[in-house]
Parts: sequence; structure tokens; C-alpha cells
Amino acid sequence: MSTLHLLSHSPFTDTRLASCLRLLGPDDGVMLTGDAVYAGSDAQLTAPLQQATMRLYALREDVHARGLTPGAAVSVIDYPEFVELTLAYDKVNSWI
Amino acid sequence: MAKSMLIISRQAPWSGPGAREALDMALAGGAYDLPLAMLFLDDGVFQLVGAQQPAAVEQKNLGANLQALPLFGVDELYACALSLAQRGLDPATLALPALALDDQGLRELLAHHDLVVTL
Repeated sequence: MSTLHLLSHSPFTDTRLASCLRLLGPDDGVMLTGDAVYAGSDAQLTAPLQQATMRLYALREDVHARGLTPGAAVSVIDYPEFVELTLAYDKVNSWI
Repeated sequence: MAKSMLIISRQAPWSGPGAREALDMALAGGAYDLPLAMLFLDDGVFQLVGAQQPAAVEQKNLGANLQALPLFGVDELYACALSLAQRGLDPATLALPALALDDQGLRELLAHHDLVVTL
């Protein structure tokens, strides 16, 4: 079953993203919100995702608020698309 | 049929309420015979260290509640092998019989549960 992983902590001060990447299944997705969007500009962090069929998303409001330009691997989506995304996966895992 | 749930506990035992809340959720679910599994990940593996003395920091003992998991029907206990190794913990000396899983094992565990909660 596919899982959408929801992250909101900066990957530079916290191990959530690193652990999440180890748990990721081939059909899983990762949604970045809050300070987790800082991961989107780091090619090293997003590289494992680009190699697989997994998908990486970032919330538009949080990206714009921080003045970021995420890499090509990141799909920037708004809140309604975020809601739709949660329905496209079998389950959602929030790394709170 | 009830949906299966994986509870991922990734906080150290005395750093905040996270460890106890994950455990309370597991015990409550177990009491209602829900199909549950529990995974100790990251600092969560520190909960499995034996002979802890939380009274020294004026905390209640989490260990007693952990030991109650099998009594509440929560027999599927797993620990992340890498988290254990990084923290110098030997899977053979844990206070609970948690099965150590490598990354592939973690992915399979996550994939075959209906729901997942991380605390």
C-alpha cells in the first residue's frame, strides 16, 4: 500500500527526513510543509527521490514565504492540491 | 474487519510526552483487540533499554507499561536495526523482545499496514 509522508521540520536540524527516506516504499510520496520545504532546494536530499518512482511535493505558501526556488524534482502545489494528494495515497503518515 | 495500524514511536523516553503517548495509544488499541504493531525508530529505541531509573528525574516508569504490551495483545514489536546500531544498543539485550528490522524490513512493515501513526 502506498503512503504519503508529511514532513514539517527542517532537515538540517532534525532526523525526520533522513528516517523517512529509509522507510520509503517504491510507490510512496513525500509532502514538504513548513520548514521541511528547505529540503526541496538541497540536491543531496532530493537525489534518493529522483532515482525512484517516488514523488516529492512542497506546499506553495511555505515555499513562497521562504523565498525558495525548489529543484526540478519538486512539484510545488497549493492547499486544494494537497488535499487531493492525501486522497491519492492509501494512507498518510505525519512525521509530527 | 478492523484496519491494521502501525504505531511508530521515535522519541526518547524522558524527553517529552511522545513516548508515553505512543505507548498509551498502543495499549488502548490492544485493549480493544485492534490489530496493532509497534515500531521503535530513531531515539525511540532508547525506550527499550533495561534497568532505567526514571525516578531520578521524577518521572513515572515507562518500562512497566512497555512490559504490559504483550498482555494487551500487542505482540508485534519491532525496532529499527540501524537506530539500535547507531546508538550502540545490542538487540539481544533489550528489555522487550522487539525484532530488529533492516531498511527493507521497515519498508515492508509500513507497506502492509492500513494505517500508520508516528509520534
